[in-house]
Amino acid sequence: MTPLWIGLGLFVLAAAAQVALRGRRAADSVFSILVLAGSALGIATAAGVLRAGVTLSTTIPSALPGGDWVIGVDSLSAVFLVVILGVGSLSAVYGIGYMRYDDETVAWPSHAFFALEVAALALVVCARSVVPFMGAWELMAIGSLLLILTEYRHAEARRAGFIYIVATHVGTLALFALFATLARGSGDWTFDALARGAELSGGALVAVLVLALVGFGVKAGLVPLHFWLPPAHAAAPSHVSALMSGVVIKIGIYGLLRVLWLIGTPPFWWGWTVLTIGALSAILGVLWALAQHDIKRLLAYHSVENIGIILMGIGLAGVASAHGRPVLAAIGYGAALLHTLNHALFKSLLFLCAGAVYRETGTRDLERLGGLARRMPVVWLLFAVGAAAIVGLPPLNGFVSEWLLYRGLLEAGQSAEAMRLAVLGVPALALVGGLALACFAKVAGVVFLGTARSSPAVEAREPNAWLRGPAIVIAVACAVIGVAPPLVIPIALRTAGYVESVALDVDAAAGVTHSAWQVARFALVLLFATGVAALVMRWLRARVVRRELDTWACAYTAVTPRMQYTASSFAAPLLDVFGAASGIRTHRGATVFHSEPFDLVLDRAVAPAWAMVQRVAVRLRGLQQGRLRTYLVYVVVTLTMLLAYLVVRGGTR
Amino acid sequence: MTFEQASPLVALLLTLVLAPLVPGVATRTRAFLTGRRGSPVWQLYSDLWKLSRRGIVYARVTTTPFRLVPIVALAAAVVAALLVPLDGRTSVFAFAGDVVAFAYTLALARFVLVLGALDTGSSFEGMGASREVTFATLVEFALFLGLAALSVATRQLSLSGVAGEPLADRWMTAAPALVMVAAGLFVLLLAECSRSPVDDPTTHLELTMIHEVMILDHSGPDLGVILYASAVKLSVLSALLARVAWPVAHLEPAARLGTLAASLVLVGVLVGVVEASMARLKLPKVPLYIAGGAALSGLGLVLLLR
Repeated sequence: MTPLWIGLGLFVLAAAAQVALRGRRAADSVFSILVLAGSALGIATAAGVLRAGVTLSTTIPSALPGGDWVIGVDSLSAVFLVVILGVGSLSAVYGIGYMRYDDETVAWPSHAFFALEVAALALVVCARSVVPFMGAWELMAIGSLLLILTEYRHAEARRAGFIYIVATHVGTLALFALFATLARGSGDWTFDALARGAELSGGALVAVLVLALVGFGVKAGLVPLHFWLPPAHAAAPSHVSALMSGVVIKIGIYGLLRVLWLIGTPPFWWGWTVLTIGALSAILGVLWALAQHDIKRLLAYHSVENIGIILMGIGLAGVASAHGRPVLAAIGYGAALLHTLNHALFKSLLFLCAGAVYRETGTRDLERLGGLARRMPVVWLLFAVGAAAIVGLPPLNGFVSEWLLYRGLLEAGQSAEAMRLAVLGVPALALVGGLALACFAKVAGVVFLGTARSSPAVEAREPNAWLRGPAIVIAVACAVIGVAPPLVIPIALRTAGYVESVALDVDAAAGVTHSAWQVARFALVLLFATGVAALVMRWLRARVVRRELDTWACAYTAVTPRMQYTASSFAAPLLDVFGAASGIRTHRGATVFHSEPFDLVLDRAVAPAWAMVQRVAVRLRGLQQGRLRTYLVYVVVTLTMLLAYLVVRGGTR
Repeated sequence: MTFEQASPLVALLLTLVLAPLVPGVATRTRAFLTGRRGSPVWQLYSDLWKLSRRGIVYARVTTTPFRLVPIVALAAAVVAALLVPLDGRTSVFAFAGDVVAFAYTLALARFVLVLGALDTGSSFEGMGASREVTFATLVEFALFLGLAALSVATRQLSLSGVAGEPLADRWMTAAPALVMVAAGLFVLLLAECSRSPVDDPTTHLELTMIHEVMILDHSGPDLGVILYASAVKLSVLSALLARVAWPVAHLEPAARLGTLAASLVLVGVLVGVVEASMARLKLPKVPLYIAGGAALSGLGLVLLLR
């Protein structure tokens, strides 16, 4: 535990350094070193826990209600600690370079908040009793708000922050109810005690599972609770978006897994519910992503998609463990955990690249970009790695976790029980994969390929090393997991067994680990084949005359960049197939085709409902007149009513 | 090494050599049925030979993806061929879950092909790329329905199991479902390999094309390798379809290799018959066509899950 404590201390120290040095040059190097050292120490602790399969914990005695505060690390926390500290520290370093582009915003408070937010996130997954958990949860929520508001001068950021804080507190409310139901009046609120006492049944069990799905679902951003996510990710600085999308929303997944760890085997209906919600989130998330033209908003919708894929894993695990199939359940949980890690990596990578594009061109609008591959080749390569990974293409990490999930769903299809219906998740996942491919073909093609559609896109250059370095590290991690899945799959399966609280049958799990080696071999075969094909092409090309000419344009000579396919037109046929569910308004004219996305939940349900609440609230405004006399009358009336109540109830207890 | 052990490798080589024949057979069948003589069945071989000696023109605007297209297309087609039990029993490389690897290898080639098209900045190729991702998304959904149905039917996770030995027994007990799955696969094969009624490989009217328009700017050996890779893809999918519709795992290795060659020719003829008997669909109708294929596979899956 000590290295972790020191590590978290270094994060606080890094924040303090930013405050003390307030924007002096030295602050940036000191901050980066402290943050990277802090995360290295924390990850070392987590790795130790994962290797030995032990649980570390420290108890802080407390006389407050809720009992002692227990802070510790078990396998489940350790997996999330690696994600939080790894992605968090790299994004923090990137943030240094990112904020230098902006002369208006004072950067040091934002850097300080960032370091504190990472520490708060680590604390959430290390808390092992309710009071520190909820405390850290709120720190995390407020930290996120402050980070979203970094560019508070823009109305967009203020609106996003407001939607976020309302949504997150709805979730917090559900969590209070959740823990109250779990604790059932006992004074000991440590997780271990809750796990021992958690033989829930009937209504209480239903309440716990539904509250967990709502409370943690808001944070995770599953459909239809995702509506806070796209505005927040778009308005925040890119390193903050990377942290939010890669890490913060995963805390919702952590919460769900922690509740499952507390209650043991969930009833079968819950698994089916989560599997269905997961598939819906994945399909709708990626469909809505395809409709977006703001690169960061588009990536945010892809987080909704990937949370859906993770939930499909959890749902499959729930169904399997309800049917008494621990190994299959481990595949489900393992796929969920692995996809959590993988998504954290490739999504933060994509946000970091998107941030570099935004800073160099000043726009996030796809329709104004183009041809950046020539101007920023390193960013293009990194983005291409991230895009291929998120689409699930071999030989990158996204393929590994999606393969594991596919495998689990197909295996479920071979059982004799009702569980075999889970095989319907396979085509759903395939549809998601196809849509994701379409979407990233659109982004990569429109932003980086072809010719520039506006003058800022012509002037873009490669960003500074602060922006490139962290992204390169993450891209390498994506590739390593992609070609060497045996590095991670056994850990994911072991942790999955820990969540289920069963010791896995070693031989049965060995089958999965063995095919993980086969996936590694497949990745190498694919790389080898590509290498050979490259040599063949080199030989063929060397034998003939090569020339460079303009793109063939059917003999038309006055070609302009405006004639290229736009993001709107590229996505239009596929969105058409899905009709009203795709959430776009289109404008067609003789020379114009443009589509405008809107959020079906936020713009069609939440915003109208909120407007109604406001209308009612305005009527109640008459009660607040700011005059002391009126308030004294309220006090007297309230007291009289309370006295009357006591009289009616028959005096004292 | 016995012949039995070597037969997957021999089948692979046979497929790689015979691949350009399949489009040739299809074209010849179509010509014959529409009352013309048509080009010889080995037309693609001579086209490839000719292209290998032609010069290459690269569009000035293009970067790496454009040059990667032939490399990745070739590599992906060969790796996909490694995973399919071409010899009727086992593939060169099989593992639990290779079904997914197969589909995603094809997706990798498609991703690079689409990026290569967008790399030219041409509105023709943008249009082709847009159509390709639209139809491919639906095809992938339908393809996985079919693969899931086969996996449920045979209780296998690998293509060698799914289209190999265990399938023959299932034809005795679940023939109606398997007929639907096989029919669904044929519908998808036409869409995935850009044949009529989804795409028309013979027309060069740019507004009517998908695959052809995306490779408009490729030339010389680059174009040749792309054409060869798509012929390999067609052959591999044909072989897969043939092994689902006609399991031959119980035969002797030599006989199985003979059925491989026969299957390739047969599917080629079938593709030609379809091309001769119906016109290409209007583009807005294509999603309905693919949905029809998905419905066939889906019904098969439902019957098997019953």
